[in-house]
Amino acid sequence: MEEQKQLTSQESLQLIQQMIQIAKQEQKDDGKGWILWGWLLFAASVFTFINIKLRWVPTYFFWNAFGIVTMCFFFYTTGKYFFFKKTKGVRTYFKKTKSARTYTGDLLQKLDIGFFISIMFIVIAINIGSLSPMVFFPLLVNIYGFRILIHGAALNFKPWVVGAFITWFFGLIGLFVKTFDWVMLTHAAAVLCGYIIPGHIANNEFKKTKPMAFNKNIFSV
Amino acid sequence: MSSKKPNRWLLIKIYLVFKDLDPILHSQLRLAIVSLLISVKEAEFTFLKEKTNATAGNISVQINKLREAGYIDVIKQFKDNYPQTICKITPAGIKAFELYVKNLHSYLSVDVNVKINIKK
Repeated sequence: MEEQKQLTSQESLQLIQQMIQIAKQEQKDDGKGWILWGWLLFAASVFTFINIKLRWVPTYFFWNAFGIVTMCFFFYTTGKYFFFKKTKGVRTYFKKTKSARTYTGDLLQKLDIGFFISIMFIVIAINIGSLSPMVFFPLLVNIYGFRILIHGAALNFKPWVVGAFITWFFGLIGLFVKTFDWVMLTHAAAVLCGYIIPGHIANNEFKKTKPMAFNKNIFSV
Repeated sequence: MSSKKPNRWLLIKIYLVFKDLDPILHSQLRLAIVSLLISVKEAEFTFLKEKTNATAGNISVQINKLREAGYIDVIKQFKDNYPQTICKITPAGIKAFELYVKNLHSYLSVDVNVKINIKK
């Protein structure tokens, strides 16, 4: 067994600080999910706007395509979990890199479950005809804003907090516009400010922070 | 010269503070493990090993000491046919860590007082 080094009070505090900093790094969001979904939602709304003007295909074609992509993603993730995890090769491919659970991570996971259930509620509402598409999208944006704000507050990341309020602002405008093409534009603007831009900022910050490990040299300085 | 000697009461205070520092936590690797565990809900053995840069054998011994002191819970299980060890800080561990940090702070303030006293 290695001999355990006895610490001075200063070194102890330094060590605690360093370890807490390392653990905090585990909670950082790389923003990739936000960027991916952001661009998908943005593309769907912008193409729908263009489609309304140019009449290429039926109005909701791009949203249906988005729905298919979402379903594929859903089946891929659930399939990966249930069917592939015991196969050694695939297991290695999908190997979890993070091996620590944080309170913030758990909270955000529950928030995401709540978010997708809320989305499902309004998707069902629009499909049974009890909700107009003119109201559906601003409502959707309202839920985006809620999710973005909680994420930003939990991770103490200002671009998301600011993005949440901008998202709500565009959601509110969406409630008052008269035509569906403008609803699509407000939706695209909300996604751009709430998902895409903060997502890219988070991704850049994540790339800048190198993985940390305990540095024994701090005591020799 | 007598004026350069530290105050006797301060020396007694230092002795008492030092005495208060928990010997289980006042060691480099054990303190590193507890500091990591205090910031997360639970962590795998591999995570602790990676973040503390310690050897598997050494970290295993220190985890055992912390578990025996009741500061951490160790759950050994199998995940997809692979052994997995999960460590989690206990309420007693949280309390001990808080007390340790509190004592460190009071020691540091005493330390500063002594230095000022010696300079005088």
